[in-house]
Amino acid sequence: MTIGAMIGDILRSLFKKPITERYPFERKPAPERLRGKLHYDPEKCTGCMLCMKDCPANAIEILTVDRAAKKFVMRFHTDRCTYCAQCVQNCRFNCLGMESEEYELAALSREPFVVYYGREEDVQFILDRAAQENPDGTDPCQPPAAA
Amino acid sequence: MSETPETPQKFVVPIGPQHPALKEPGHFEFSVDGEIVTGASVRLGYVHRGIEKGAENRNYAQAMYLMERVCGICSHVHATAFALGTEKLAGVTAPARAQAIRTIVAELERLHSHMLWLGVAAHEGGFDTLFMYSWRDRETVMDLLEAITGNRVNYSVNLLGGVKVDITPELADQIRKGLDFLEERNQHYLKVVTTDETFLGRTQGVGTMTKEQAFLTGAVGPTARASGVEIDIRVHAPYAGYPDFPVNLVIDTAGDLLARFVVRIKEMQESCRLIRHILDHMPETELTVRMPRRIPAGETISRVEAPRGELFYFIKSNGTDQPERVKVRTPTLCNWGSVINFAPGHKLADMPMILAGIDPCFSCNDRLISIRRNEQDPQLWSWEDLRQYGVQYYK
Repeated sequence: MTIGAMIGDILRSLFKKPITERYPFERKPAPERLRGKLHYDPEKCTGCMLCMKDCPANAIEILTVDRAAKKFVMRFHTDRCTYCAQCVQNCRFNCLGMESEEYELAALSREPFVVYYGREEDVQFILDRAAQENPDGTDPCQPPAAA
Repeated sequence: MSETPETPQKFVVPIGPQHPALKEPGHFEFSVDGEIVTGASVRLGYVHRGIEKGAENRNYAQAMYLMERVCGICSHVHATAFALGTEKLAGVTAPARAQAIRTIVAELERLHSHMLWLGVAAHEGGFDTLFMYSWRDRETVMDLLEAITGNRVNYSVNLLGGVKVDITPELADQIRKGLDFLEERNQHYLKVVTTDETFLGRTQGVGTMTKEQAFLTGAVGPTARASGVEIDIRVHAPYAGYPDFPVNLVIDTAGDLLARFVVRIKEMQESCRLIRHILDHMPETELTVRMPRRIPAGETISRVEAPRGELFYFIKSNGTDQPERVKVRTPTLCNWGSVINFAPGHKLADMPMILAGIDPCFSCNDRLISIRRNEQDPQLWSWEDLRQYGVQYYK
């Protein structure tokens, strides 16, 4: 039976430096296996769409530019993604990867959350097609404005 | 505080759904005679999220990630239970190394859950020093989980038919080093909770539940084991890596709050021992096996030992790639009966500790709300009423 059984811990802590991390002024290195922003390599993609099928958050859209020439564009929604890496597991051609460096993905508007991956001309093709379908310039990913 | 007209001496103290002492919403009514609680009732359902219904519209891989989000503390056991059940339906067994990794992550998760509980329970008892230090030490196990899996909360270790991550020898050394520190600290905490006189005054002989009461009220997990009930799914129905790496049952016969502290801290020591044992005898196999997308029709149950007790999954498949029904029963739901039964006779001031003693997780246990009221009750709205109200509101 004692009183103040943790007094030793408290006294020892008095002479220790505070453990608080001064984020964002000092950044600790991210753990090696951290699942950060998704990256896509259009050169290897065969358009099997398995990543899209198993995504629990519907964060991935594979848009077909030319199926015969294997031209695909990925529209990735960073705000919907739960960073579970199921898509990376599903991809048999190693064209998906989650980088451990890019993880500070907060933004002040919704635009940065829609990311297009693909060959430059293919992305332009998709954007042009989207612009044609929506001539008034509304973002197809946004909910329709109230009438 | 409200006074009921029929019994003028009886006061009912309502606590919740929003209350500073509660971390999650739940409603409790304690009828008191002076300071002594004479009756208790609990009302749940404030954080019902429709997860079971959500699982029916997703394929098995997607549903597993949804299930992982049933609980924020024990996310891995939910995914494990779902994956094991689905693998059983598909007639597939994950390789031995995958099962061992599942077990290691489950035990690390148990460590972090119990350390979190130790802090919360100490805080409810007014022992904030223990709360601060146990949470500081919990960072060690959180960092280990982050190093193994890449995330601190939703680890996403499981795949249907295996695991995603491997444990390399360097990681194994890192885990061993972390466990050395944790074992030493846990030994210290065991000494603190069993010797500190002020804290013993809050725990010893408080909320005592006998073995018979625990049986009658259907208590599970450490709450039941602290009353001497020998119940542990890891021992009695081993799953994943537990058939190869048996775990020792930790029980205590006192049945009071102190026993719940002792059982959980000893369980942490047992988890440390088990993780070391698995790391020293890791099976050398593949990490995954091929899993069919369409799961053959059938139904199965899958039981695992979550940090709070037995977690139960029922999965029904209709031969497609989406489950027809997933039923989840979390351990907290089983333990409410015991709280309500052993609360009367104690001081109102002991209630927070008695509630915290079962390690409740409110949003885990909210599954389905069934309202038993008169059809004419103006407070009861049907789906059609709600729809009409919505239409009128937005007109």
